[in-house]
Amino acid sequence: MSIDLAPLVLTFKLAAVTTAILFCIGVPFAWWLANTRFRLKPIVEALVAMPLVLPPSVLGFYLLLAFSPEHWFGHWLDQAIGLRLAFSFEGLVLASVIFSFPFLVHPIQAAFQNLPPSLAEAAAVLGKSRWQTFLRVLLPNIKPALLSGAVLGFAHTVGEFGVVLMIGGNLPNQTRVASIAIYDEVESLNYAAANVYAGTLFVISFVILLVVYLVNRRALK
Amino acid sequence: MIQVNIQRTLHGVQGDFDLNVDLDIVEGEFVALFGPSGVGKTTLLRCLAGLEKPDRGRIAFNGSVWFDAQEHTHVPPQERHVGYMFQDYALFPNMTVRGNLEFARRKGSSRQRVDELLELMDIAELQHRKPNALSGGQKQRVALARALAAEPQLLLLDEPLSSLDPTIRSRLQDEILQLHQRMGISTIMVSHDVGEVYKLAGRVLVMEAGHIVRQGSPAEVFSSGQTTGKFRFTGEVLGIEPMDVMEALTVLVGNQIVRVAAMPDEASNLHVGARVMLVSKAFNPMIIALE
Amino acid sequence: MQAGPHNCMNKLPGKIVALECNSHMSLVDVAVEGDTFTATLLETPEQSPYLKIDQPVTLMFKETEVSLAKNLSGLISLRNRFPVVVQGIERGAIMSAIGLDYRGHSLACVITTRAVDRLQLAIGDQVEALVKANEMVLSYEH
Repeated sequence: MSIDLAPLVLTFKLAAVTTAILFCIGVPFAWWLANTRFRLKPIVEALVAMPLVLPPSVLGFYLLLAFSPEHWFGHWLDQAIGLRLAFSFEGLVLASVIFSFPFLVHPIQAAFQNLPPSLAEAAAVLGKSRWQTFLRVLLPNIKPALLSGAVLGFAHTVGEFGVVLMIGGNLPNQTRVASIAIYDEVESLNYAAANVYAGTLFVISFVILLVVYLVNRRALK
Repeated sequence: MIQVNIQRTLHGVQGDFDLNVDLDIVEGEFVALFGPSGVGKTTLLRCLAGLEKPDRGRIAFNGSVWFDAQEHTHVPPQERHVGYMFQDYALFPNMTVRGNLEFARRKGSSRQRVDELLELMDIAELQHRKPNALSGGQKQRVALARALAAEPQLLLLDEPLSSLDPTIRSRLQDEILQLHQRMGISTIMVSHDVGEVYKLAGRVLVMEAGHIVRQGSPAEVFSSGQTTGKFRFTGEVLGIEPMDVMEALTVLVGNQIVRVAAMPDEASNLHVGARVMLVSKAFNPMIIALE
Repeated sequence: MQAGPHNCMNKLPGKIVALECNSHMSLVDVAVEGDTFTATLLETPEQSPYLKIDQPVTLMFKETEVSLAKNLSGLISLRNRFPVVVQGIERGAIMSAIGLDYRGHSLACVITTRAVDRLQLAIGDQVEALVKANEMVLSYEH
C-alpha cells in the first residue's frame, strides 16, 4: 500500500507560511493592543477573539462567500491582482491567518502587558526611540511568549479542519491538507491511510509542544 | 538652572487633589523631596523626566523649554538627557550589567566611560551577570551607574534606597554623596527617610498633598520644629500593657522594638497601630562606642 | 510637639526671661507663675530662632523625672525646685503615681512606692518638687 505524503507536506507548508505571516502582523498588533488607550479597544479585542468561540464552519462560510468571484471582494481580487482565494492555497493561508490570530496574539499581548512599564520608560529616558525600545528591550524580554504564540498559531493551523473544508475543499496539492485527508480516507473506509496521517499529526504536534514547554522551562530559570 | 511651575490633577486614594509646584533648582544642587507616599513626589519627577505631562504650567532647563502648556511644547523624554533611577530599578533583564550600561551610553561617548562607571560603582566583577542574578544592593548600584552612563544633565532618583537593609543603605548613601560631590550633577531625590535626606541633600522640600509646604536645609526643616528634644523617632505602637501605675508601650521604631514607659493618660490616647513620635533630650542617651 | 491633648506629660506655660548661650548649648530661664524654671538645651538661638526673650513657651517634663522632697535643707545642684500640694496617691507594687497641684496647674509624678512610704506622703501635704534642668523640654506655638 502506498501512502500519499502530499497532504502532510501541504499541512506543514500551510502552517509554516501562516505562522510566518501571523508573526509579522500579530506581534506588532499585540504590542499595540497592550499599550493602546483607543476607546474601541474592547471591540477590537472581541473581534480578534471571535475564532476562539465561533464554530469554524461559521467563519469558513463567510470567508467562502467573500472569496467567491460573485462577491465584490472576490471579484475585485480576481480583477485587480488575478488572485482567486476560494479553493486555493492562498485562500487557505488567509483563512488560517484570521483563524489562528488569537492563538498567537493572546500570549504575546499578555506578555507585553506583564512587562513593567518602567522598562520602556527607562529606555525612553535613555534616549531610545520607540522602535529601538521595541526591538532591543521589549521583544527580547518576552521570548517565551513569542515562542508560545508562534507554536500555538502553528499547531492550531495544523489542526484546523472546518474552515479548510469550507473554503478549501479537497484539491490534491492545493487544499488537501492532512486533516481533510484523514476525513476523506475514513469516509472511504481506508483506515490504514487515515491512521498514518493521524498518527503523524499526533506525534509531530506532541513533539512540538514538548519542545516549547522544555524551552520555556529553561528560559524561566 | 531648572525652573518648574506646574499643576496637575492627581487621583489619590482619598480622592483627587492638585499637584501644584513652583520650584527653582540651581545647577549642582542636591534637592530632596520629602513626604509621605501619594503626595505627588514621584509624579513631579516623572513630569521632569517627560514621562508624564502636567496639565498646566512650564518647565525650563538651562534656558530651553521642556514643557509649556500654553505653547503646547513637550520635549519627549528621549531629548531631555536626564538620568532617572526608578524605584524598581528597571534594569533590562535581557542584558548583562555591562549591556545595560552600554545601552545607556550616548552615541559618540567613549567605551571607557562604561569601564570607569563599573569601577566607580564597584560592580566590575558583576559586569557579565544578568540583573536577575544580582542582590538588591547590586541592582541599585547598576541602576545608578546606568543613569550616569547617559551623561545626564539632571539626575532624578526615586526612593533609590528604599528596599535595602540599613547597612548597605548607609554605604550607598556615602557613594551617592561622593558621586554628587565629584560630578556635580544637579540631583533631585525622592525619599521619606529623614536620615537619608539629612546626609545627602543640601535642600529639602517637604511635600504634602501636592504642595511644597516647607523647605530649607535639612537642619532647618527637621530640627527647628517646636520641641527642643533632639532625638525623634517615629514608630508604631505594637502593644499597650499596664505596668503598675504606668503603662508599658511596645513601639516598633525602624526595625527595632522598644519599650517605653507612659502615663495612663498618655496611653489612653493611643491604640495598637497608632503612629507615635518618641522624643528624647540630647542629655539622656548613654553612648557606647562600637569598635 | 504636635501631640494633641493636654494630658500628655507635665506642661507649664511660661515665658523666656533669660538666655545664656555658648556655641552649642543654651541655658534658658523660663518664668512660670512667678517662679523661674531652667532648661538646658543643646540648641542655640541661631539654629532655633524661637529662643528669644519674651517668647511664650511650654515647659514639659516627664512624670518619671520629677522628684519630691520634704523639709529639704542644704545646698542642691538641682535648678528646678517648686512648691506643690499632693492631690492624690495611686499606689502600685513598685511605683506610685502622685497627683500634684502647682499654683493651680495639675502635675503628676511617678516615684517608687518605697519613697512614698519613707516620705509618709499624704493627700494635702506641702512638698517640694525637683526636676533637673536637663530634663526640661521646651515647646512653642508656631
